[in-house]
Amino acid sequence: MAPGAPHLVVRQVSKRFGAAHVLDRVDLTIARGELVTLLGPSGCGKTTLLRLIAGLESPDAGSVELAGRDITRVPPHRRNVGVVFQSYALFPHLTVYGNVAFGLKSRGRSRGEIDAAVGRALSLVHLEHLGARRIAALSGGQQQRVALARAIAVEPDVLLFDEALSALDRKLREEMQVELRRLLREVGATAIFVTHDQDEALTMSDRVAVMFAGRIEQVDEPRIVYARPATLFTLGFVGLSTRVSGIVAGSNNGRVEVDTAVGRLSAIGNFLIGSPVVVAVRPEHVRAAPETAGNCVAGRVRSIVFHGSNSLVEVDAGAATTLLAQIPNDVSAPPRVGDEIRLCWPVAETFAFPMPEAGA
Amino acid sequence: MSARIAITLAWLCAIGAVVFLLSPLLVIAAASFSPTPVFDLPVGGASLRWYARIGALDGFWPALSLSLQLALLSTALSLVLGTLAAIALARGKLPGAQAIATALVSPLMMPGLVLGIALLQYFRAIGFNATWSALLVAHVVVTLPYVARTMIAGMVRFDFTLMEAARTLGCTYAQAIRRVMIPALAPSFLIAGLFSFLASFDNYPVSIFLTDVRTKTLPIKMLQYIDEAPDPTLAALSTLILIATIVLLLASDRLVGLHRMAGTGD
Ligand SMILES: Nc1ncnc2c1ncn2[C@@H]1O[C@H](COP(=O)(O)OP(=O)(O)O)[C@@H](O)[C@H]1O
Ligand SMILES: [Mg+2]
Repeated sequence: MAPGAPHLVVRQVSKRFGAAHVLDRVDLTIARGELVTLLGPSGCGKTTLLRLIAGLESPDAGSVELAGRDITRVPPHRRNVGVVFQSYALFPHLTVYGNVAFGLKSRGRSRGEIDAAVGRALSLVHLEHLGARRIAALSGGQQQRVALARAIAVEPDVLLFDEALSALDRKLREEMQVELRRLLREVGATAIFVTHDQDEALTMSDRVAVMFAGRIEQVDEPRIVYARPATLFTLGFVGLSTRVSGIVAGSNNGRVEVDTAVGRLSAIGNFLIGSPVVVAVRPEHVRAAPETAGNCVAGRVRSIVFHGSNSLVEVDAGAATTLLAQIPNDVSAPPRVGDEIRLCWPVAETFAFPMPEAGA
Repeated sequence: MSARIAITLAWLCAIGAVVFLLSPLLVIAAASFSPTPVFDLPVGGASLRWYARIGALDGFWPALSLSLQLALLSTALSLVLGTLAAIALARGKLPGAQAIATALVSPLMMPGLVLGIALLQYFRAIGFNATWSALLVAHVVVTLPYVARTMIAGMVRFDFTLMEAARTLGCTYAQAIRRVMIPALAPSFLIAGLFSFLASFDNYPVSIFLTDVRTKTLPIKMLQYIDEAPDPTLAALSTLILIATIVLLLASDRLVGLHRMAGTGD
């Protein structure tokens, strides 16, 4: 199959538990060798989507194709999908070797093949010396690696990770993110990570699928998800932003003029005059330097959080509006709490989104 | 200081209790080697003559065979029923699961006599008068609570994600039970089976209501021997049962322990 051709195709998949619509017509297409993250808040349906792909749940509607085969009704043991569970789900009655060999035995491989494949998988995760260990005698990080080796050993068509790193402490988690990405590249795996941690999503994946309330809101490269969020939810879930609501007063060629409580702002977007919208900007585009073009708002510095090379400055612009600015710490006169300052940012980095309906 | 005194006292109490509980067993074991035909301590030289006589006791072999049959069969039945019930209670979202679990275990708290009379009347009422089968059913009633209690505890602690992991690794549900659930729960099965076997093997109060002249379990037969001819043969038999029990306990401890340590095969 050509690289980039669809390898896993989830088509119009819906799932309900009782009255709750947990997945609502989800579409997702993943190419061979791609690493994709499902990112979203707890309860938005990420695990359910992963379980549907693994065959541990069956969809009410829609289909799943893997490696050119419709697997919608295929039971999990005939899908060739590898899963790394959040709790690792290692078999406590088996050794490290026994765990990694488990799937190979199910597939009826010969003794020699199993030995070779287990050896390969364990050396990929740097645990070749621990084959005889009992699971209970491993650290959390080692258990994580065994779970990974067990899933890789059978060379699955797709690897699924459900919050697989979330049980590790922060430092180990960050190391594992980098190592896991390198390792998956090395074996050419196609993988889906489920996470609610945006840093993990942005670090690990080729593309991020942002999920909210059973729907995929946007699927894009990490930098695009961050810089060009498709929805207000994505904007708020990935990274920091300033958001101001207002009414469209003028619209022209993909640019709108919006009347807000802190004055008239220009933004990118297409809306009818009179539409209620939310105008937003990322803090790193907001400057304290006086500018002539773009959007400008004055206010009083409420707090400053030091972040090394820059500081995150919170500015009270009145009318219950707070602006966030990320100011480099190399400027000659850094702002101080209580200072009156003027913040400006380019129109090209200002987004407008439709105002969410009440209650949404 | 006072803590040390308390701990010392606790130890003394514990040792006292153990001595009190174990000394009758030691006395019986000692008496079984007595050279004289009275229950006596063997002061002048030991003898194995009473052990040789066990097999000659009137009706001993049929009683032993019946007790073993009942213990093995009721344990096997209870293991299957108790495990299935435990899966349903731990997994299924049954309404009133807690109440069902309590009901399953409740015969444990009921006096055996009450259970025996109740079963006798019930079997009569429904015209169920095949002695052997009635005994088997009664022994399942007696042993099921032991199995259910242990298996529910094991099942609640069992991580059912392991079953899902096995299925994504190529097992059908049945294979996942065989390769993952049963070995992971092996200690629970072993303990449940052991308790169940012992509960059935030495049950007296329930069996007594359901036996007839020709169908008697070993404990009932033993009481009869005591009445008829109290000589150290019975002490010898008791000692053998005691040794068999200890061997069984040690062996299962070893088995569970070794199994945990090896853990390569499945
Ligand atoms: N087996 C189930 N029965 C009933 N509701 C479920 C079941 N599994 C998940 N849900 C519900 O579906 C929603 C989505 O769950 P999940 O997919 O686990 O979300 P996430 O992994 O994104 O946190 C939640 O509201 C959860 O309570
Ligand atoms: Mg989840």
